[in-house]
Amino acid sequence: MTLAATTLAAGAAPLALDVQLKIGQPFVVGLLQGSVYGLIGLGLVLLYKSNRIFNFAQAEFGTVAGISAYLGLNGKLFHIPWHMPYAVACIIGVAIGTLTAVLTERLVVRPLFDRPKVILVVGTVGVLLLLIALESLVFPEGKSLPAFNNPKQGVFRSLTDPAARLGFAHYNLQWEQILTLVTLVVLALATVAFFRYSRNGTAILAVSQEPVAAQTVGISVSRISLITWTLAGFLGSVAGILVLAGSAVVSPGVVTGTTLVGGITAAVLGGVTSLPGAFVGGLLVGLLQAYAGTFLTQFPGSESVAVGVVLLLVLLVRPQGLLGREA
Amino acid sequence: MTMTTPEGAVLTVDEAPGEDFRPGSVGLVGRGFVWVGLGVALLLPMLTVDFAQACSLAAIYAIVGLSLNIVVGYTGQLSLGHQGFLGLGALTAANIVFKLKVPFYIGIVGGIAAATVAAVVLGLVALRITGLYLSLITLVFGTAIASSLFSLGSLTRNGSGVPANRPDAVSTNARYYLLCLLVMLVIFYLDTRLTASKTGRALLAIKENERVAEAFGIGVTSYKLLAFGLSGAIAGLAGGLFAFRSQTYAAQDFTETGLSLALLFVVMVVVGGLGNRVGVVIAAAFFALLNYLLDKLFISWHAFRHLVEHVPVLNGYYGPNKGALAGLIGAVLLLQTLIFNPGGIGESVAPIQRWLKGKRFSLHDDSASAGPGAVEGSSVRA
Repeated sequence: MTLAATTLAAGAAPLALDVQLKIGQPFVVGLLQGSVYGLIGLGLVLLYKSNRIFNFAQAEFGTVAGISAYLGLNGKLFHIPWHMPYAVACIIGVAIGTLTAVLTERLVVRPLFDRPKVILVVGTVGVLLLLIALESLVFPEGKSLPAFNNPKQGVFRSLTDPAARLGFAHYNLQWEQILTLVTLVVLALATVAFFRYSRNGTAILAVSQEPVAAQTVGISVSRISLITWTLAGFLGSVAGILVLAGSAVVSPGVVTGTTLVGGITAAVLGGVTSLPGAFVGGLLVGLLQAYAGTFLTQFPGSESVAVGVVLLLVLLVRPQGLLGREA
Repeated sequence: MTMTTPEGAVLTVDEAPGEDFRPGSVGLVGRGFVWVGLGVALLLPMLTVDFAQACSLAAIYAIVGLSLNIVVGYTGQLSLGHQGFLGLGALTAANIVFKLKVPFYIGIVGGIAAATVAAVVLGLVALRITGLYLSLITLVFGTAIASSLFSLGSLTRNGSGVPANRPDAVSTNARYYLLCLLVMLVIFYLDTRLTASKTGRALLAIKENERVAEAFGIGVTSYKLLAFGLSGAIAGLAGGLFAFRSQTYAAQDFTETGLSLALLFVVMVVVGGLGNRVGVVIAAAFFALLNYLLDKLFISWHAFRHLVEHVPVLNGYYGPNKGALAGLIGAVLLLQTLIFNPGGIGESVAPIQRWLKGKRFSLHDDSASAGPGAVEGSSVRA
């Protein structure tokens, strides 16, 4: 809607520039950033639904994926560099990120399953710290992952022409950003569909609502836990690759630093048990940050303060979140 | 707890009538030596300027550890925003003293007040909701306050830092260490009084089972809020001490390390043993000194330097990435404590503690006085 309004206003030159800069550009930026928050939020909600905990290592699976993809592209084996295609490196990255989540479930979550929830949450904090420390072991200096449209390595090599920006040249919109948005929508819809229509999805819901009863009807709680952690690891890894490709410097803990707080806020805003809620919450947080950064430039850190204030207000007025209900 | 038998003799509950153990003269002298030795060891850092400064940090971290222990150990909530309270205390104390020219102690009190207000406001929102929402809200609080208030030009002299000059009485590093140590001991003592009081028992009951506690007439939310406010106050106190330790309030102390500082505090409390004061203090001192000791190891010990430079896995740690080694140690200790040794350091040193208090040395607690240290496991491991 705002996009259409901006395009209409493009005729009136002096006003148009302002509208585009102040309304249109933040909208696009916020939507894209928000979609990443949404992906992290989806993973958090998934684990909250099944285990009733918050997983503080969620975004770090993304860093693991990004670093694995980087090593896939530029790594050496016995001083011989291998050059794998970009897409293969990304897939390997996502696979390793997901594997990290599976190992987390087996080695940390499983042994702590029957302990108080706060211990389980601290366990995920431990995983976060361990992953950051191990990342600095294999990846000591900050390098960056090439963008998807990188002329040498990217997936969309043919689209390297800076003018080929999907028509809206003045929004600085690029193919990889469209890809991020599409990926989020597809993954979110797939996750929702998984919960609605698949046997495993409904089993996860059953376990989260009443584990003992679920076991009685023949659902394996430990298998369900493994499935949810695999899914969450996959979502986190995809988010990590999307964040890191082309833009940010890859360094230990980078995805956690840039998206964990946003993702958590997204999950809580939407109500921690609602998958569409996390989706919407992520977009809201992204837009809020973008507009706060545009209009409140005189205050340092206005983006994070705006998000914090809105989070507090929502929790005060609607503790169950905006879309808080099961399934 | 004491009770009187019909004959009029006073018995304490943790000593059954026949087993009244009193250490002999050798035992008394031995215990006395150890106590004196501990005291001397605590005062030893005063001899060197450098180490005294490092040990002040250890004492301050111990105060933060005790503060976080109230939240995590006693009420079973998780806070990831304690670096925010620490920073708020430091910011307020340094600014009050520098701008209003008031004495040092008023600055410290101001820091405590600011952190308390922040904690109560956060707690009011987060603690009404059941579950672990406090961890999320404090996480968002910590990052938000670090990027806004802590970096505000007018409060940081445009980033150049607010000077925090110590008063003359504690101007040297050695004396300042002594001050931090004394404050830590006072907080430690107050904490023992807290757990022995009605409030302390209420908090433990809440941690064990909120619904049961509520059924027994304990106001769950208000006690949690009390604990969180108290914790914020103590963290604010530590923040004031922190600012005057480095003699300047520098925003980057809290903004750059933000989340990792908060996580370090959690690691301290868990590795020390949830709810176990002695363990938390030991763990806090260990983690505060870890970077200092690793630095010394890297710089002065040639053999170690050689080793590190030539082992492929370790050489990543040489130079700028040294902090990662401390991170690795912390993470491994945290996970191994959670999975294999839930009592933490506190449980491991408990036999020594009992011996020092004049009991017989044994690895198992005969008196079975389940203190707060036993809380985490008590409902879980039958």
